[in-house]
Amino acid sequence: MLRFLGEKAAAKRQVLNADSVEQSFVGLKQLISCRNWRAAVDLCGRLLTAHGQGYGKSGLLTSHTTDSLQLWFVRLALLVKLGLFQNAEMEFEPFGNLDQPDLYYEYYPHVYPGRRGSMVPFSMRILHAELQQYLGNPQESLDRLHKVKTVCSKILANLEQGLAEDGGMSSVTQEGRQASIRLWRSRLGRVMYSMANCLLLMKDYVLAVEAYHSVIKYYPEQEPQLLSGIGRISLQIGDIKTAEKYFQDVEKVTQKLDGLQGKIMVLMNSAFLHLGQNNFAEAHRFFTEILRMDPRNAVANNNAAVCLLYLGKLKDSLRQLEAMVQQDPRHYLHESVLFNLTTMYELESSRSMQKKQALLEAVAGKEGDSFNTQCLKLA
Amino acid sequence: MEVNPPKQEHLLALKVMRLTKPTLFTNIPVTCEEKDLPGDLFNQLMRDDPSTVNGAEVLMLGEMLTLPQNFGNIFLGETFSSYISVHNDSNQVVKDILVKADLQTSSQRLNLSASNAAVAELKPDCCIDDVIHHEVKEIGTHILVCAVSYTTQAGEKMYFRKFFKFQVLKPLDVKTKFYNAESDLSSVTDEVFLEAQIQNMTTSPMFMEKVSLEPSIMYNVTELNSVSQAGECVSTFGSRAYLQPMDTRQYLYCLKPKNEFAEKAGIIKGVTVIGKLDIVWKTNLGERGRLQTSQLQRMAPGYGDVRLSLEAIPDTVNLEEPFHITCKITNCSERTMDLVLEMCNTNSIHWCGISGRQLGKLHPSSSLCLALTLLSSVQGLQSISGLRLTDTFLKRTYEYDDIAQVCVVSSAIKVES
Repeated sequence: MLRFLGEKAAAKRQVLNADSVEQSFVGLKQLISCRNWRAAVDLCGRLLTAHGQGYGKSGLLTSHTTDSLQLWFVRLALLVKLGLFQNAEMEFEPFGNLDQPDLYYEYYPHVYPGRRGSMVPFSMRILHAELQQYLGNPQESLDRLHKVKTVCSKILANLEQGLAEDGGMSSVTQEGRQASIRLWRSRLGRVMYSMANCLLLMKDYVLAVEAYHSVIKYYPEQEPQLLSGIGRISLQIGDIKTAEKYFQDVEKVTQKLDGLQGKIMVLMNSAFLHLGQNNFAEAHRFFTEILRMDPRNAVANNNAAVCLLYLGKLKDSLRQLEAMVQQDPRHYLHESVLFNLTTMYELESSRSMQKKQALLEAVAGKEGDSFNTQCLKLA
Repeated sequence: MEVNPPKQEHLLALKVMRLTKPTLFTNIPVTCEEKDLPGDLFNQLMRDDPSTVNGAEVLMLGEMLTLPQNFGNIFLGETFSSYISVHNDSNQVVKDILVKADLQTSSQRLNLSASNAAVAELKPDCCIDDVIHHEVKEIGTHILVCAVSYTTQAGEKMYFRKFFKFQVLKPLDVKTKFYNAESDLSSVTDEVFLEAQIQNMTTSPMFMEKVSLEPSIMYNVTELNSVSQAGECVSTFGSRAYLQPMDTRQYLYCLKPKNEFAEKAGIIKGVTVIGKLDIVWKTNLGERGRLQTSQLQRMAPGYGDVRLSLEAIPDTVNLEEPFHITCKITNCSERTMDLVLEMCNTNSIHWCGISGRQLGKLHPSSSLCLALTLLSSVQGLQSISGLRLTDTFLKRTYEYDDIAQVCVVSSAIKVES
């Protein structure tokens, strides 16, 4: 920011940082929700230091608590959201494979008398597994996810047989057990979702599609979205006929739904099908139809503009995207929209640099500190 | 891609962008459970993110289209699409603008512009846009030449050109193998099987929409790449509907000579033209490619001067029981033959009848049918051998061994003869 617009402009940016909020979980949540994730990462670091952990303290005798682990999880999750995968990997290292003795309740009998099991948040395990695929090791991700899935399945099996999670005698009420079954079922579903995503990243489309089909069993309310997603995968490999079949299935499923969401999904799929058949004009018509029903639909807006470009209407396309961004920068300032804008500016004229700078100014005023300036291609 | 930067200041700027199909944006889902520190915050952030799928925010493959970021690769058979934009960078009105786009290959120069008429005037900050499409039919270096001519307000005629070089690569590697029918029955022997091995040489997964063999005039073709399952035509490749880069797939076709050519096919020598493969494929978001191979040729198996083939033979016979076969002897040479048939016994095969009899004169390209009787003294799969044909004109003997197989079973299992 400083580099491009100078100090004065950088000062104009009113952004919350780690100092301007309460030094607690409350302050942390504030920073997260207004997208000041770098500040949030900082604050996590501070709070961890207060716990006796954090910077420069790896190698010393650990003393984890559920709170400290939550702070680590949030810090690592935000690093991933910021795209700082290498940093996240480094900070995950001292935790090994998340099964070290000092990560279990039994290690701290004075702090957690009688409690048993792992203190590691389940979501942290998912994060730990998924991180590898963003570092270019999707096979490692898959392996780790398989391990998590195996454990979830075993626990679920134990619970369904009336035992406790670890296979011992159950000492909870029927209600408690049901709640636990629901929890572990949802965790199993979450793992399967991750696995499907990972297979997709690995471009193993046959397995990815199978995996997404399994996910539907755990998230039946997401059936139309998942079927649409599989349709899109088919489009990506060039199998237009299969995509069409899936989109027809989506239509059947959404007929029972009321409200706009179902209709919009069907229109979106039709638009994509036309794209696959090289019919940009028809695709544009469908995206525009969605905007009539839902004027704030960012995807339809962006995609309609993209179609205009392919139809030879650069100026119209730019106008549509710019209007979208100006109307509600908070909502629409997204990496891919900006990517498209800058690509079109490059095509439009030799004065693209100025326009990009103007964009950066707009962004600076509205976004948190989490914005990825790379998508503006300012070099 | 740009080769020549402009040497003087022009009022108009020309920009070119290759229009490959857009790609779908992928998200990075980060979630947590309600009891975790952020509570619902992470989920809320994902819901607010305009590029996630509404209602399925964990799904990585979103719906937002992203424009191509670089030129990418282009392959033979694909369609080269490009946006050409001429922008008035100046603050004066420019007149009589003519934009021409040509594609120069090593062998020809093609005009790609949609319209050849000049645009009367172009105001400041306005642009002239065109999208050109061209199905690439050659491999190697291609140069897109864009020429812009215009007149300034002062009446000065200006002209500039920009060159954009790119390589067209080979998308598929096609290997063909011919197989002759295994059966010895001449009705089947003239069948030829073509195995086409197609390898994806591109960098993205490829969906083979159509691979068909267009036969030459002599043949009828049956494709053997789909089966009928529950009334529907199902591909033999099953769920593996696409080819990853460097993957290979084999397609099988059966070619049968048409009736009017059947006789000719029996004695054809040398090279015959079988037909050509027509391949249509699709890649990302339906990007289409199409290729036809050149005419595929086959070297006919040499039958020599005299061809002996079987018209009828049983599959299974009883041990030590005589059975009948019908042979067809064809004169594949240019001269008339006078043939004498000799039958020699082997360890397992015993011929019945008179050996050494004359078959009579046989003219070139004609054939005769012969009924023979034989029996086998050994059980199991036996090979029929021992026929000798001697042409008395040239005093040349042709030997025919292992002409067919027959399964010989013991009499305990009676076979209806």
